[in-house]
Amino acid sequence: MIETRNLVKSVDTSEGLLTILKGITLKVNEGEIVAIVGASGSGKSTLLGLMAGLDGATSGDVLLDDNNLTEMDEEQRAMLRGQLVGFVFQSFQLLPSLTALENVMLPIELKGDDQARDKAKQLLQRVGLEERWHHYPNQLSGGEQQRVAIARAFATQAQILFADEPTGNLDTATGKKVIELLFELNREFSTTLVLVTHDERLAQRCNRVIKLVAGEIAEDTTNTVEESVSA
Amino acid sequence: MPEAALNSLNKPSAMSSNLFTVALRLLWRDWNGGELRLLFIALVMAVTSVTGIALFTDRLEKALLLESANMLAADRIVSGRGELPEEILVEGQTRGLRTAQTLSFTSMAFSDSSNMLVAAKAVSDAYPLRGEVIITEAAFTRGRPILSGPPPGEVWLEARALPALEIEVGDTVFVGEAELLVSEIIITEPDRTGGSMMDNAGPRLMLNMADVPATNVVQLGSRVSYRYLFASDELSELDDFEQWFRAQEEWRGRFYIRDVRDESQEVADALDRAESFLLLGSLFAVILAGVAIALTAKRYSERHYDYVAILKTLGCTSSQITFIYLTVQLVLAFFAVVAGWVLGWLVQLGILRLLESIMLVELPEPGLQPYVIGALTAVICLLAFALPPLLALRETPPLRVLRKDMSQQKISDKVPYAFGILGTISLVYWYSQDLVLTSVLVSSVAGIALFLSIVSYLFLRSGGSAGMKAGNAWKLAMTAARRRRSQNVLQVMVFSVTIMSLLILTLLRTDLIDEWQAQLPEDTPNHFMMNITRNQIGEIENFFANNGIQGNAFYPLISARVTRVNGDEPNPEGNLGDDEQNTLTENANLDDVELSEAAQAAAGEPDTGAAGEGEEGRRVRGGLSRRQVTWADKVPPDNGITAGEWWGEKPQAGYVSIEQDYAEWLDLELGDRLEFEINQQTVYAEVSNFRSVRWDNMQPNFFIIFSPGTIDHLGGTYLSTALMEQEQKMLLNDLIRLVPTMVVIEIDALIEQIQTIIAQVTSAIELISVLVLVCGALVLLSCVNASLDERFHENAILRTLGAGQKLIMTSLLIEFATIGFIAGLIATIGAEASLYYLQQEVFQQDFSFHYWVWPLGPLLGMLIIAGLGILSTRGVVQISPLNVLRRLT
Repeated sequence: MIETRNLVKSVDTSEGLLTILKGITLKVNEGEIVAIVGASGSGKSTLLGLMAGLDGATSGDVLLDDNNLTEMDEEQRAMLRGQLVGFVFQSFQLLPSLTALENVMLPIELKGDDQARDKAKQLLQRVGLEERWHHYPNQLSGGEQQRVAIARAFATQAQILFADEPTGNLDTATGKKVIELLFELNREFSTTLVLVTHDERLAQRCNRVIKLVAGEIAEDTTNTVEESVSA
Repeated sequence: MPEAALNSLNKPSAMSSNLFTVALRLLWRDWNGGELRLLFIALVMAVTSVTGIALFTDRLEKALLLESANMLAADRIVSGRGELPEEILVEGQTRGLRTAQTLSFTSMAFSDSSNMLVAAKAVSDAYPLRGEVIITEAAFTRGRPILSGPPPGEVWLEARALPALEIEVGDTVFVGEAELLVSEIIITEPDRTGGSMMDNAGPRLMLNMADVPATNVVQLGSRVSYRYLFASDELSELDDFEQWFRAQEEWRGRFYIRDVRDESQEVADALDRAESFLLLGSLFAVILAGVAIALTAKRYSERHYDYVAILKTLGCTSSQITFIYLTVQLVLAFFAVVAGWVLGWLVQLGILRLLESIMLVELPEPGLQPYVIGALTAVICLLAFALPPLLALRETPPLRVLRKDMSQQKISDKVPYAFGILGTISLVYWYSQDLVLTSVLVSSVAGIALFLSIVSYLFLRSGGSAGMKAGNAWKLAMTAARRRRSQNVLQVMVFSVTIMSLLILTLLRTDLIDEWQAQLPEDTPNHFMMNITRNQIGEIENFFANNGIQGNAFYPLISARVTRVNGDEPNPEGNLGDDEQNTLTENANLDDVELSEAAQAAAGEPDTGAAGEGEEGRRVRGGLSRRQVTWADKVPPDNGITAGEWWGEKPQAGYVSIEQDYAEWLDLELGDRLEFEINQQTVYAEVSNFRSVRWDNMQPNFFIIFSPGTIDHLGGTYLSTALMEQEQKMLLNDLIRLVPTMVVIEIDALIEQIQTIIAQVTSAIELISVLVLVCGALVLLSCVNASLDERFHENAILRTLGAGQKLIMTSLLIEFATIGFIAGLIATIGAEASLYYLQQEVFQQDFSFHYWVWPLGPLLGMLIIAGLGILSTRGVVQISPLNVLRRLT
């Protein structure tokens, strides 16, 4: 489903060239739930951005459902994102000028689907926000905003979902609820899920945990199915 | 990407309709959130000012054409000294023009018991081609319009002539040898104020052209003014005819073709200047609105970086982003254009209301062009000012959703400012079609930009200190100003341009109005009296004193010709240009003086024109032909000595004062010895000074003034002026009876017309100034708003760290006031420099330094910017820091 080959990302800084990722090679299979963990600055979010096609690599390849992102320009990557990928972010990234419903409708509309409204309503119902659909993000709590973001992420029935610290801005209890919801929907839609997290407990619930240290894969462990399901 | 995947992505129609919905939703929300309001208002202002002024000038142009009816009784007239060639009339008729003829001459009219000098005018049956003659059967009753002159055998007389001739309607008068029936009293005729000197030398007597031979008055050598009148509803036919006429070389200098603009120079000048001012005003309005659009669009786009990043994350391509934002702009523009049209229409209505009383004809409906111009303005403004920052949005990297600091600078760098600059220049040129205006405006703004970069570099470079120096408001403000150096330079630039525009308009307006008022003050004399002998002066003065008429000085008048300069034939400079040379020659023999020049004409300057655009040649026209000269012991009012000295308290004979343009044309120098031929005698005089003359003040003005004692012994008559109110008008009959040889020229109607026009044009100018003021305020507000987020954020942090409200507010006040002071100072310099060019090149005014603006400009800048700044940022200390930080993250 997702494959990176010898992926390198360097950036120019005032102190010279800084290499954030130093040749990452990994493969994520369809339906897998993968957690990327590591200390701050280890390159987790950069890796997520590259795998999701949000940024271009310095060298190496990223293959998303057999599409080589490094050979695509931003326009093509955007179209592919719209087709294959969903996102959940730490800071929710809802459009403040749209209601909850409109936020969920947006990716469906962008795909040219006429049924956007109905589908979005169903999803909001699924995440328990049917009563709040007409509210704007600033009228919702953090947990509610993240639930809207999750609904949006699943709105286009994306095959791959990328989540960047999805509980990072939430308290423990709310974070837990949001994760339950994310996993539930993931199962329902049979989505491949890649998430970046600091949360050890969350990581343990995933099929696989990849630990990055200074831009390199330090560990790549697979959890038992029981662990990930029961946790 | 696999083909299947690509295909599945392509659903263009559904996609664009969805994108359109997304765009509308975005527009609606941003509108409600207030983000688009300033942008919208700026657009509306641009469309309003341009549409309003275009509508006004469009209708004014059309109205002027129609109003020519009131001035000329035709669309074009051909006049000249001596009989006009029949060929001209035939050519006009062949070209499908309507034609008529008039013949003006002064003559004595005799009744059984009395006689008086009348201004006779014979008209052909088709007269008038435009406008109406108003007649009545009984004096001082309401008249009725009629589209013809009197039938053969009848005359129409002005009411004043009836008591003077001791007759009534129904009686007969003799004009020359013809006895004609007085059938009506004539109240007005369309071309009365635009007539020749002969048309104003007494009360009007109108007769039919067919009766002229019977009068036997017009003979070879008689002073008669011939006119052919032409009219057509097709402007092109008239233009073609005019072109044909001008191509006839052999008529040059003998016959002239004119339209309404030539007819009354003062009116034309006032309207031309008003049009220039309105144009300039609308240019400023557009530029300011453009700047406001650029600023608000920039801020709008900056606030949308995150939005675009999210859209991109969700699969939106750059072209879709462009589509969305273009849609937002176009829909916004659509509403702005509609609103601008409505407001523009109201603005022109307002201007027209103010000018109502001088628009003697019903105004034609405007064409569609002004609306097109208004709409195009919105489009160009958007393309030049708003689109660049919005297009830069498409470059927003989607990674911004993960890293907020990502490439904001990179995006800003991609905004093509060149678009805005080019857009502004093209807009200015497009409206003005005037290279001088365009270059003045562009170079003042460019000059300001350059000057500013240097000043701010010097000012802000000093002491590149680290940190915020948060302990002291002054230091805090200065470090803040330095930290935001590039942003502040931009702000100062915008403030300077805005304040400069307002200053230029205010000063120009003040100068124009002052000049107009000085030109024709309330007590401007409205009657000229000529042909007065020395011993009649006392009688006239007594008459004025007894009847409460305000009389003025008596000027001696004598005809003279320059024959030699320092013993040589005069050799006028050939630097007036071909056209002007032609004008010069054309008018050299023009005795048939038009009334607009009556002031000078009556003053013995039959061949001087009023001051105005390209008037140099006309002013000194007549050149070496005979001119009426005078002598005086004091400098006449409104004259200024530009070189040399006026003769002192005890003037000596043998000196002469020369008008400066005339002197320049003759290449004279102080001390030159001139030889004159006066009454067939030779007179010598030394040039002792050069003078500037105000030609448009409707007062006696002279090119040549001798020192007392030089030519006094050569005879001559006297000239004077008087102010006679409407109710004193009948006294003219008594005066003429008292001094029968005197010729009175009545220019009261003309003066009144000019005064009204000036008053109304002044109001129109004030209206446009208000419009520009609103645009200026808009820019200032947008500019302050543009830096609001950063200030809020920074000051919230300061407050979190314990800075007091007073410290923050004082520091903000100092920062804004400093920026305002610098902007005001630069604006003042820019305004004075621009005014220098504008007044010289566009408005034909003399530039004078405006001392009072120098302290006022910076002070005003300081007050306005500090006021606006504090007003906009007071929330910094009113909202809790937590709220500010939350709102901005």
